Amino acid sequence: MNDESDLLATIAQGVVHLDVAVVRTSVESAVREGISPFRIVAEGLSQGMRTVGALFRDGELFMPEVLVACDTYYAGLQLVQPLIEKDNGRIAKGKIVLGTIHGDIHTVGKDVAIPVFRAAGFDVVDLGTDVADEAFVEAVRQHQPDIVGLGTYMTSTFMHTNQTVEALERAGLRGQVKVICGGPAVDVRAALKLGADGATDNAWEGVQIMEAWMAEVRE
Amino acid sequence: MSVVDSWVQRLRGTLRPIGEMTHWQRLAAALDLHPTDLVPVAPELDYWQITHAGYSHQEIYNDVDKTTDACLRTWADLRCDAIWMYVDISHQIENFLPAERRAAHFVHRGPKDYLLFKPLVETLDEAIALYESRAFEKHLADSRAVTHYTPHMLQLLEFQEKMDRQVPVIVGAASPINYAETIVEVQRLVRWTITESEDKVRHYLELCLAERLEALDFYRDVAAANGCQFFCVFGGARTWGPRQLEKFGDVDRRFVDKVREIFPYVFWHHCGHNLPQALELLATWPGIKGVQYDQPYHSQKLSWSEFYEITARLFSGRRCAMNAPTTQVACYGTPGEITQMVRQFIEATVPHTSAVVMPGCEIDSYAPVENVRAMIDAARTMA
Repeated sequence: MNDESDLLATIAQGVVHLDVAVVRTSVESAVREGISPFRIVAEGLSQGMRTVGALFRDGELFMPEVLVACDTYYAGLQLVQPLIEKDNGRIAKGKIVLGTIHGDIHTVGKDVAIPVFRAAGFDVVDLGTDVADEAFVEAVRQHQPDIVGLGTYMTSTFMHTNQTVEALERAGLRGQVKVICGGPAVDVRAALKLGADGATDNAWEGVQIMEAWMAEVRE
Repeated sequence: MSVVDSWVQRLRGTLRPIGEMTHWQRLAAALDLHPTDLVPVAPELDYWQITHAGYSHQEIYNDVDKTTDACLRTWADLRCDAIWMYVDISHQIENFLPAERRAAHFVHRGPKDYLLFKPLVETLDEAIALYESRAFEKHLADSRAVTHYTPHMLQLLEFQEKMDRQVPVIVGAASPINYAETIVEVQRLVRWTITESEDKVRHYLELCLAERLEALDFYRDVAAANGCQFFCVFGGARTWGPRQLEKFGDVDRRFVDKVREIFPYVFWHHCGHNLPQALELLATWPGIKGVQYDQPYHSQKLSWSEFYEITARLFSGRRCAMNAPTTQVACYGTPGEITQMVRQFIEATVPHTSAVVMPGCEIDSYAPVENVRAMIDAARTMA
């Protein structure tokens, strides 16, 4: 391994070991060494998140560690984000606007989903929590995403998925986006009945679903 | 005539027997790991029963009689093996807030929606200060714990006694870790178990435990003294990993140590994705007779039948297993799917331990009544 690879591996390991200090220092070093911000994200921070996903899947890491790994990822991302925004060469896999359904203020799912989606190469517009249907409509008009993500922690707020979907339909925007539901209360069949295109309670599975949708669009 | 006397007059002497045991005997026997005539069925209908009885959640919010009427009307209709109290999150945390701040913290989205809430504080220091100032005591007198929860509970217990304990009322309380999460929002506490000093997190949890142990005096003097014997502990730590359970899990166990001195039939509510280590702990904590468990943890690639069987073997000789169908299927599934899930649960469980048909969490207000009836019928038609 050369120095660049070592540095990127250190960043990835920092994310896995929940070590904010190591991640920050290594990202700063990588920037100084002239490594492209896109590589720092793709081969450092995002590689770390992929490893976290694999360890979570295998039962070696659990939700608390995953949440803090996401924060660690963000700590590094903050340092390179301004540089990435100047980098016109990056092509995102797709754009998603994502928020927690009106009435639901839990962020535990969204806090994991957003970094995992970003690490996988999606542009994510975070609308926050307790997002009104009209705010989703406005965000679709403004950001022109490929996908709308509806987060919900509770069954009673998940049951309002159809109202958000209907708001998109009334605005004439439903045809231009896929809708995915996420959170521990979601059920795939119910999500489809409620007008969404898919659902999952696992952010890494969400990436697979969205990648398949984007592949369909490109075909 | 009071709402309780009205229902007692209507039901006493008119109820057809179901099986050979009373509802009380059936649930008690299952929790004692004894044989039962039928598998008990006691879904957590706490807020579903409000809309089933024709009320909106707003309508009952400040009306104790309508709340109790909803529970008794639903029980008379469905004849489950227990009556669950109506509870909402304001009962749990309103007494931490001065009256003028309460409206901003609780939200009624719609007539069928459960009460939504916002966290009370956002930092660990604020949470500790909230407990050290004994805010929960200062604002108790006019809170819904006093004005709604307690009179509602007493009405149901009065019904239980006047009906000669044919059917038990289930009273429940949140565990210290559940409180610790609710006060600040779960995602914050979960992070702090890693990012904050262990001593500081433990100090917060010990404050939560102290408050909960004091609260148990109320449950002893008011609930148990009026006949309550079946007690559900709404556990916390549902998103914790094994490291967090090992470090801090003893806080909830110490709470159970006092609960079991007060109530003979204690069971633990553990909703969410159940970590295997958490179920193993619950199988060993003294005083818990049953575990209302939920879905397997993300990393466990198990079918439902496999999960039922693994859990039943784990609980064998030690705990009653309480599950099926999932709350999601209860709400979104078909009656046929629900029947199948309940049967799978019973078939996989009863060779190893006793079973109670009780989804891992509350039945959602949007669940169709056909689905709830399917769950009950499935249990009633299996020997």
